[in-house]
Amino acid sequence: MKHSFIDRYSDLDSPVHRIDSRVKLLLVFLAIITVVSEPQARLFPFAFYGGLILVLILMSRLPLVFVLKRFMLLSPFILLAALFYPVSLLISKEAQLASIRDEPFRVALSIFCKAGLSILLLIWLISTEKFHNLLIGMRKLRMPRLIGIISALMYRYIFIFGDEALKTTRARESRTPGKLKMNKVKVYSNQMAMIFLRSWERSVMIYQSMLSRGFSGELPAMQRMAINRNDMLFFVSFVLGLLAIRFFVDPLVTGF
Amino acid sequence: MDVYGSLINRLLLMHIADGIIDLRISIAANVVSVALIYVAGRKVAPDEIPKMGVTGAALFVASLVHIPFAGTSIHPGLLGIAGIILGKRAFPVIFTLLLFQSLVFQHGGLLSVGVNSLNMGAGAFVAWLIWRQRFIPEYLRAALAGFIGIMVPALLMAVEFHLSDYGRGIFYLLSVYVVAAALEGFLTLFVVKFFRKTKPGILSRTWKSHDD
Repeated sequence: MKHSFIDRYSDLDSPVHRIDSRVKLLLVFLAIITVVSEPQARLFPFAFYGGLILVLILMSRLPLVFVLKRFMLLSPFILLAALFYPVSLLISKEAQLASIRDEPFRVALSIFCKAGLSILLLIWLISTEKFHNLLIGMRKLRMPRLIGIISALMYRYIFIFGDEALKTTRARESRTPGKLKMNKVKVYSNQMAMIFLRSWERSVMIYQSMLSRGFSGELPAMQRMAINRNDMLFFVSFVLGLLAIRFFVDPLVTGF
Repeated sequence: MDVYGSLINRLLLMHIADGIIDLRISIAANVVSVALIYVAGRKVAPDEIPKMGVTGAALFVASLVHIPFAGTSIHPGLLGIAGIILGKRAFPVIFTLLLFQSLVFQHGGLLSVGVNSLNMGAGAFVAWLIWRQRFIPEYLRAALAGFIGIMVPALLMAVEFHLSDYGRGIFYLLSVYVVAAALEGFLTLFVVKFFRKTKPGILSRTWKSHDD
């Protein structure tokens, strides 16, 4: 089975795709912090952040339909989380229904914008860089060594076990056709236990093969990374754009 | 899977996205998480590393098996099982899993990886503590570990939402989790029974004896 959806657009050729993964990681991290640090109930700056992210997406030559589809898939979840705010206030009787219409909904919209823009940034990041390169980038940025190795292994085996889960699901369904009358939870638990057992046995074999290839607790990176002048220029201009929106888009002046 | 089921799962699995809770809480949680990764990852033997990575992958995949329940379907959290199998090593695995999910599937958020890890890691840790209480019958321990593995993160999440000015209403929603946690308790019980029958070494306290 192929799982090409992760690195589907990371092979495109664009100026953004050629930028060092460390620069993109730092950029996304800074952008998320900047967006999330906006005061609650300020809505106007989010349009500017959205514009900046749109520029990034266009520069990357990513199909807008793909980005929008991915965003739409995730938006109900963040909408639900944003609506928690007025609902929670209403349940705890800290606000009346009449007042819920105004300020709490504004805050909820602000929460939705923050989460939505953060998701767009993550979609952009994973679509413009191979996951493997992101891992190398994170390791170069001093991510704990243990996390780096676990991530690399997880990335390699998550899809193999995905296929394993499909096989066990097929086996379960063939043994229990139609509606389950017996203990439903037990049947599903056994399937999960089986996935664990198979993975456990495989991990022993993986370790033995890793040892035979000279594994000593470190996964070496074959690729050499270098940050050039274009990368720096891209980083500085984007950060300046973020700072300009954060500190110079005054909601009082714009009237929002 | 149906959208209704997806929303319920999202609510139950407690993946907080970026921007949902206070930025200071997210940053503080990231700092604490990094410290905990070093503490939980101390003296890791080389043969433990592939097990952590591969078990993390299996944890993710197994949690995607959806169980039909009350007209919809529920994805288990499997935090109790993570605590039982991985013990104190569960935290780095959960952190990595959440980082992976946030980058690859945009589930949760990059900045909120720390807070999500602390919530779920605490669930797995408490489950492990319960699992170690040998005076309690094994199957009761397993069921309790599964139940607590969901309730602890739910409670922590409610506290974080409360600290982010969401009001006290979020605590009332905890009752929703009790049903999911009870289901998780039964699930953990059956998984442990299965392990006990087929490969008891996986339930032992040290990983060294697991390759039996």
